[in-house]
Amino acid sequence: MSHKLSLSNMGGISFLVIIAIFTYYPFLFLLFTSFKDLSQFYHHFWTPTLPLRWENYYNAWLAIRNYIFNSLIVTSTSVVGVCTVASMSAFAFARYKFPFQEVLFYMLLILIMIPGTLTLVPSFILVRDLGLLNTRWALILPYISGGQIFAIFILRTFFSSLPEELFEAARIDGATIWQSYSLIALPLSRAILGVVAIMNVLNTWNDYIWPSVVISEDSLRTLTVGLAYFQGQYQTQYGPQMAGYVIASIPLLILFFTTMKEFIAGLTSGALKM
Amino acid sequence: MDKVWREIVKNRGIYLFLLPTFILVSIFSYYPIISAVFHAFTEWDGVNVRFNGIKNFASMPKDDALVASIPNVIRLALFAEFVALTLPLLAAVIIFHLKGEKIRYFFRVLFVVPMLVPYMVILLIWRFIYDPMDGLLNRLLMLVGFKNPPLWLGDPKTALLSIMLIGFPWVAGFNLLIYIAGLDNISPDIFDAATIDGATGFRRFFSIELPLLSGQIKLIVIMTFITQLQAFQSVLILTNGGPGFSTMVPGLVLYQNAFHFNRMGYASAIGLLLALFILILTIFNMKYISTEVETITR
Repeated sequence: MSHKLSLSNMGGISFLVIIAIFTYYPFLFLLFTSFKDLSQFYHHFWTPTLPLRWENYYNAWLAIRNYIFNSLIVTSTSVVGVCTVASMSAFAFARYKFPFQEVLFYMLLILIMIPGTLTLVPSFILVRDLGLLNTRWALILPYISGGQIFAIFILRTFFSSLPEELFEAARIDGATIWQSYSLIALPLSRAILGVVAIMNVLNTWNDYIWPSVVISEDSLRTLTVGLAYFQGQYQTQYGPQMAGYVIASIPLLILFFTTMKEFIAGLTSGALKM
Repeated sequence: MDKVWREIVKNRGIYLFLLPTFILVSIFSYYPIISAVFHAFTEWDGVNVRFNGIKNFASMPKDDALVASIPNVIRLALFAEFVALTLPLLAAVIIFHLKGEKIRYFFRVLFVVPMLVPYMVILLIWRFIYDPMDGLLNRLLMLVGFKNPPLWLGDPKTALLSIMLIGFPWVAGFNLLIYIAGLDNISPDIFDAATIDGATGFRRFFSIELPLLSGQIKLIVIMTFITQLQAFQSVLILTNGGPGFSTMVPGLVLYQNAFHFNRMGYASAIGLLLALFILILTIFNMKYISTEVETITR
């Protein structure tokens, strides 16, 4: 029995290892190439070479650090915004009864079904008419507005699952909604807020189409848009180009290894969003 | 009426809590939706609007780019479906049944880490892989003796195929996580009973895992379709729809009409049509999304 089991383990593991090799090989190649100058690239295409050209990283960093900075600002502001706005609404929907509650909730729910392609053009014109083109608000406000919907959906499910006794006593003592929210609900929802935050970090950090249409000023470009532009600038200078890609991947890797559990949950639920 | 109003006044604190949400969605969701539907029936350059009935829709069959984009998007979607239902599912089942908590965890993390690389970086890496002279793929083909390897993205015959193959071997992705979450949710008793009955491998897969994952599978099938119908970032970055219209997709036709040709009304009409297709799919999908949300937040 145990012999058979370990044998089946071996078959499975070999399959996974082969998949892993194909998955990781391009990234390894990227890493090796990021340390090469052009002559090393052309003469030793397949193998890592010495000396390591650290200057590729220095040059790439100079070229994209501002894009990373912009993405950090836009992402962190949007995520804090989403968590604040969404948790308030979700709390009200989950723990209170009030007139038009259902109607209002379905008015939000229906927005999950609206694909981004429908609103791309009018949103652009709206942001232009509000005078927000080439400002960070053109990204932050729509990201909060769009990101909160799915967040409300998730957070409402969570707030509804909290035991009523927690809120009952407070209600009898005449606590306001603000007190119940900030003193009871929020402290209990750190983990789920982490999931919501990470889901939104991934969406904002990776978004390309929207920032590419509303931001044309180089000093405000976010990372994804900046990278596409950077690639055009460094055409065949593969070393600095690849070094830039490696640098661009580091922030999310750091976030992942510091918040692994929330991160995987955030990734999984983020997959359900359209 | 008076009673309702008194209820509303009594609950004003609650409405205050909802206010930020509804201010934002009114400006950035409801208004653009109404605007999109309205402008689909107009000629609109972003400034001047002229109502033109269904002319935008009527002119679609004469739009070569749009006509070419439809078989392309169908091929891309079908291929994506095939991919989503095979390798990630197989990998999820294998990982789930590995003996030993540590090794399961190791492989999970191993296939999550590549998802952290920004999608733009993935696309730019693939652009490099397909480079006819310096790219990984053709260097490999030349190494094994090909004299004239394909141009990949540069040849209308191979361009669409090249777009499909982006992301090979497609295991590290959302689908894997959804399958694993689904497997985690199956009661261990069921697997114990299956082991006692001697059901392993293929038999277990077809009699237990496949039926019990049917919710996740339906979810993934519909989500993949919805994503593929609107996706155009990869073709925008890699081929801009070319060569010719060989990699054109509807989303890119919309984008180009709006932001290159200033035909915002026509773009809105394409958007409306896409949205209607997607809406139908999403309505089917809502049920599965709700169950998944409950699984994750539990």
